[in-house]
Amino acid sequence: MRKPALPASLLATLLLFGCGGSEAPPPEPDTTTDDAVTLEETRFVDVLPTYDSVPLPDGLEWVTNEEDEVFASPEARRGGSFRTYMLGFPLTLRMVGPDSNGGFASYLRANNSVGLVAIHPNTLNFIPMLATHWAFDDDGKTVYYRLRPEATWSDGMPITADDFMYTIDFMRSEHIVDPWYNNHYTNNIVAVTKHDDHTISVEGATPKPREEILYEYGFGPMPRHFHKLDENWVVDYNWRAAPGPGPYRISHVEKGQYVTFERVDDWWGNDVKYLANRFNPDEVRITVIRDVNVAWEYFLRGELDTHPVVMPNLWHEKAVGEQFDNGYIQKIKFYTDNPQPSAGFWLNMDDPLLADGNIRLGLAHSMNIERLLTTLLRGDYERLKMHHEGYWDYTNPNIEPRTFDFDKSDENFAAAGFVSRGPDGIRVRDGQRLAFSLVYGTQEHTPRFVLLREEAKKAGVELNLQLMDASAYFKQILEKNHQIASMAWSTSPTPRFWEHYHSANAHIAQTNNITATDNPELDQLIDDYEDATDKPTRVALAHDIQQIIHDMGAFIPTWKVPYTREANWRWVRLPEWYGTRTTDVLFDIMSTANSTGLLWIDEEIKAETLAAREEGRAFDPVTIADETWRVE
Amino acid sequence: MRLRPQTVKQWRRFRSIRRGYWSLLVIGALLALTLVAELLVNSRAIVVRYEGSYYFPTYADFMPGSQFGLDYDYETNYRELAASFAEQREAAAASGAEPPGNWLILPPVPYNPFETDFRDDSFPPYPPSLSTQHYLGTDVAGRDILARLVYGFRLAMAFAVILLLCNYIVGIAVGCAMGFWGGAFDLIFQRLIEIWSNVPFLYVIMIVASVIVPNFWTLIGIMVVFGWMAMTWYMRTSTYKEKAREYVDAARALGASSPRIVFRHILPNTISIIVTFIPFSVATGVTALTALDYLGFGLPPPTPSWGELLAQGTANLQSPWIVTSVVVAMTLVLLMVAYVGEAIREAFDPKQFTFYE
Repeated sequence: MRKPALPASLLATLLLFGCGGSEAPPPEPDTTTDDAVTLEETRFVDVLPTYDSVPLPDGLEWVTNEEDEVFASPEARRGGSFRTYMLGFPLTLRMVGPDSNGGFASYLRANNSVGLVAIHPNTLNFIPMLATHWAFDDDGKTVYYRLRPEATWSDGMPITADDFMYTIDFMRSEHIVDPWYNNHYTNNIVAVTKHDDHTISVEGATPKPREEILYEYGFGPMPRHFHKLDENWVVDYNWRAAPGPGPYRISHVEKGQYVTFERVDDWWGNDVKYLANRFNPDEVRITVIRDVNVAWEYFLRGELDTHPVVMPNLWHEKAVGEQFDNGYIQKIKFYTDNPQPSAGFWLNMDDPLLADGNIRLGLAHSMNIERLLTTLLRGDYERLKMHHEGYWDYTNPNIEPRTFDFDKSDENFAAAGFVSRGPDGIRVRDGQRLAFSLVYGTQEHTPRFVLLREEAKKAGVELNLQLMDASAYFKQILEKNHQIASMAWSTSPTPRFWEHYHSANAHIAQTNNITATDNPELDQLIDDYEDATDKPTRVALAHDIQQIIHDMGAFIPTWKVPYTREANWRWVRLPEWYGTRTTDVLFDIMSTANSTGLLWIDEEIKAETLAAREEGRAFDPVTIADETWRVE
Repeated sequence: MRLRPQTVKQWRRFRSIRRGYWSLLVIGALLALTLVAELLVNSRAIVVRYEGSYYFPTYADFMPGSQFGLDYDYETNYRELAASFAEQREAAAASGAEPPGNWLILPPVPYNPFETDFRDDSFPPYPPSLSTQHYLGTDVAGRDILARLVYGFRLAMAFAVILLLCNYIVGIAVGCAMGFWGGAFDLIFQRLIEIWSNVPFLYVIMIVASVIVPNFWTLIGIMVVFGWMAMTWYMRTSTYKEKAREYVDAARALGASSPRIVFRHILPNTISIIVTFIPFSVATGVTALTALDYLGFGLPPPTPSWGELLAQGTANLQSPWIVTSVVVAMTLVLLMVAYVGEAIREAFDPKQFTFYE
């Protein structure tokens, strides 16, 4: 299930740059009302909604996939408690509706996101989850699913076709006060049909290649016995924990302080090939720690089990010392082969200066990103080549980013009429200075842009840094009031050209076309790309589109981080292959990622480690670097 | 110019309080030095002699490297130029030829507060070092801390002084008017000020900063809008007090107009109150700007700022020179300002000069 583009990209930015702490903590929940937390009771509906069946069409070719390798370790042990943290307490336990898109939502979604099918994290093939088999209709937009009969909600009620039917009614209801879901389940997923208690079909809006349909038109069920939809739903369900199809359920909520999840007894997924040996801790405890630096101190004391250390200063400066030298805490750097968030500078071509292609290219040649990567970022980050890099076949392999080059920037700026330099060394044309404002929303990025600013000066360009509060920053960009915006778009399984580059989204507010790209030739290619249903055509079109985007030069790609770096106390174990090709976070207990929940807690090692720390005994320090999935 | 005997007495009294007097001298000297900070802390050379001509880059337009025989068109890196001149001299000495006679004088701290300095073998922040002339080290972006402290000090003091002037002009005008006219005007303004004082100022700044990127003048504007009230109370009471004195009645009897009475008679007699508050207002201005910068609601990057340094320092405690530099500098300046304030208050204390003993 896809989240709205905006929060998703914000989330990606935060994850990528190591929880910079720039996210303002949400205000304290109002605990003065009688919003008691309800965890045990899960049935609020007396008469369950039921739906009529429609016979299945003939000639369906049912497929499944039990052939791919498992990626969880058979050595994993069940048990123990996994302790992590969040920066603020959730405003609600609902998954949809007002205030439901905070950081905690990822845990709730994860636990509910055991969908119909999933993507195998190594082979990228589809694998069965709640559905055991699936079949495609000839219309190119409908998929049939056979549901796993033994699957149940965490309260023991069976998951049936009626729950999926109900999900559509639920998501389209105005009572949930969530336009994004209303829209997605109306205009993207057009219809769901029940064929028998354990067979459904889902019809999407437009024909797409098969791998896209499964992803785009897949969704998770909502429990029809739990949700009583009426105008009070948003308030009534604020603090009711919904039963889910996933391995955990909320077991305790201490408002403003922590939430714990416990493993569902006899979870139906325990014996499913691709779910077995995963989600191993019996308990997951998520404590509110409102500051990343404070959380780091908790981690060093052993009160949190793992901590991300992607940021160079964390990895090099902070993740050192006694705990690490004595081998109590281990470090791991794990390369992955994933679509890369598109981080860089987005040039608004509606700006009179940036409308000139020569200026855009000159600007790209004035950004000393190589120096930034090798000095300030210590060679830890790598140069991003283009928008939509790392999308496997879809990524055009021939595109190389523009590099810092005085001759080329000089040539380009001269072609635009910026030949001479003013008294401050900045180029001028008829009294107009070659100055741009760069808007960004993360204070941690200031040193990086300070460096680029100083280097750009040498090429005769002035970059004025405009650091804004995160929400004002998004507002300015989505209203297209920026000149140059620093932004990282999150990823999707295949490139999304329409939202970023189609003229239908240009020059208007609240769209993702933040470069004001308005090019009839590109529009045609994008339309063809959207309409194409076979993969080779789409891939060829994607390459052409990317070449045009590159030539246009409205995006200056900056950096990518094609790996994850994490630190863990040595009792937190991983499979011998650590992670998968598409792992986001290795020590990920619950998220919507495909390879989540591979870790386990080894209680014996924990006891041994704590005793050793008490006695001052040391183990060998461990720093792992795994390049199995590194893309050259 | 002849000073009034009372002023001379006050000045003597002030000088006799050594702590405050010396603090004033030191702060005054520091301020005077920061006025010519470009000559002391700057990446541009003070003077360059190249092929028979003299150049003074400090206050001039930028000079491209090509002007001094270097192979680039951007601003000359004078530290590299100095090294290349030295090489020329050595080469000339080695070959026995006439040295070319090129030389330059760099400021004592040869860095500006914006440039990022990196070394090949390690990463910033760099610790203090005499050999690299980063006397207080660098921050996380490789910028010289001393340079940022100096320019940050100049900016903070300028901010505090301008803020003080604006606040006092408004505060004194309103306070005087309240005291002089009294009655309904006084009553209404008192209530208005009470209400206005309760607006949470920091939230307003945050809201404004989320809509626009504040610059020096908008920040002053916002702070004046929410900061002028403090002075009104003191001015109101002292105007009330002075207004009731006989000399005001005498002036009125002689036919003096209201503005004349206020400006020529009442204001000069309340000056001691105003002067006493000045140092504390300066301290408040400096801390306010630092606090706002620390929280990220102050001046936009890369403006040199103490608050930004403080934020960097607390986030990078493993590089203690950052936080130490700024905390020591801040403590010293605020301490000296407080000493000056204390001495002024002592010197202007009316008990020293009262005739009602």
